[in-house]
Amino acid sequence: MLALYKDAGYQDVLVEEKQALFDQVTQDMRYPETLYGCYECGICVAACPSARFYDFSPRVFAQVMAREDVHTFYELLNDSVWDCSQCFSCTCCPRENNPGAIITIMREVAVNNGLASAKEALQAYSRIIFKIMSTGTQVSPDMLQPDFFPDWGQDVRDVAENLDVWRRAIPPETMHTVELAWDVSEKTRLELYMIWKLTGNLEMIENIDEGLFMILEEVMEELLEEHGYDIDDFDNILED
Amino acid sequence: MALVRNCLLPSDLLYDVPTNIWVRELDDGMVEIGMTDIAQTLAGSIIHCRPKKVGKKVKKGKSVATVESGKWVGPVRSPFAGNITERNDAVANDATILNRSPYGEGWIVRITPADMEGDRTALVGVEEASTLYEAYMQEKDLASCIHCEGFEE
Repeated sequence: MLALYKDAGYQDVLVEEKQALFDQVTQDMRYPETLYGCYECGICVAACPSARFYDFSPRVFAQVMAREDVHTFYELLNDSVWDCSQCFSCTCCPRENNPGAIITIMREVAVNNGLASAKEALQAYSRIIFKIMSTGTQVSPDMLQPDFFPDWGQDVRDVAENLDVWRRAIPPETMHTVELAWDVSEKTRLELYMIWKLTGNLEMIENIDEGLFMILEEVMEELLEEHGYDIDDFDNILED
Repeated sequence: MALVRNCLLPSDLLYDVPTNIWVRELDDGMVEIGMTDIAQTLAGSIIHCRPKKVGKKVKKGKSVATVESGKWVGPVRSPFAGNITERNDAVANDATILNRSPYGEGWIVRITPADMEGDRTALVGVEEASTLYEAYMQEKDLASCIHCEGFEE
């Protein structure tokens, strides 16, 4: 079992560990429809926006999976897998491969196994997850902060400084707040929480960010208590 | 006052390095809890801080407040089990205080510990905290602490 690249990193990680993660990807029910063989024509790379900016290639994912190269797979899983923008331009493949979908499955495996690369990559999204759960909307105007958007330069500094004024200047109803995009009913938030809990999404979050999981549980526990529900009594909540 | 990679660590405080929390022991048996200079640097510009209500019972390691910056959110974990006896409404109204004055005006809650001596043993003084933070910052690849305009030492 040779690595596609002789210098594949993580040589100290046991091959059994790499193989187990590789198997989780190939055993995913979506996997058989992602890979049909690769000509190495490079059309996917030519179409890929991430390939223009990073040392990233969708073709490498197709090749590595087809060759069952678990060493390079493990390196990709811990690094390049987070460089994909998930735009699926790579589905222009003449063999109908879907490297973007391989990456979707790999990311889920990285998250489910609590890999350090997943923790690092998703750290910047913790507030988005928190916002969805606590307000029902994933973005809010007050996310526009200079230290999170340094590439916006002076523009983001101007916007952040006078955010409430800009918000009030928008003609449609925006509730004139900077903390919410729009209002979502408590019933919808409770339904969303139930979906996350019952589908294992909250467990996934716990694997990646225990602190975030803790405050999500607290927020929802409070909301459920307000409505007279017990957080673990799902049957009762579902009936209502 | 100790200085680690431009991060301030006052000498009169106790620290819980893994959770980035400082503790000040008060005369009346209460303890004051806040975020360290390193924590405010890692969070970036803080826009919301929601301390829990007075009277709330907290377990050791559980959250006494939620802090939000642009894209990050996280708990302020209590190193003590006990009851929240005071909360700092000033940081609830203006969370940027946590960036400007993490050790002064930026205290978050005061707690009456249930087992002061027991829980206290997990905390370290400034000398040990400095050594641990040096390793912590190396691990997090954090070059130095960032102090905003008007930062109070």
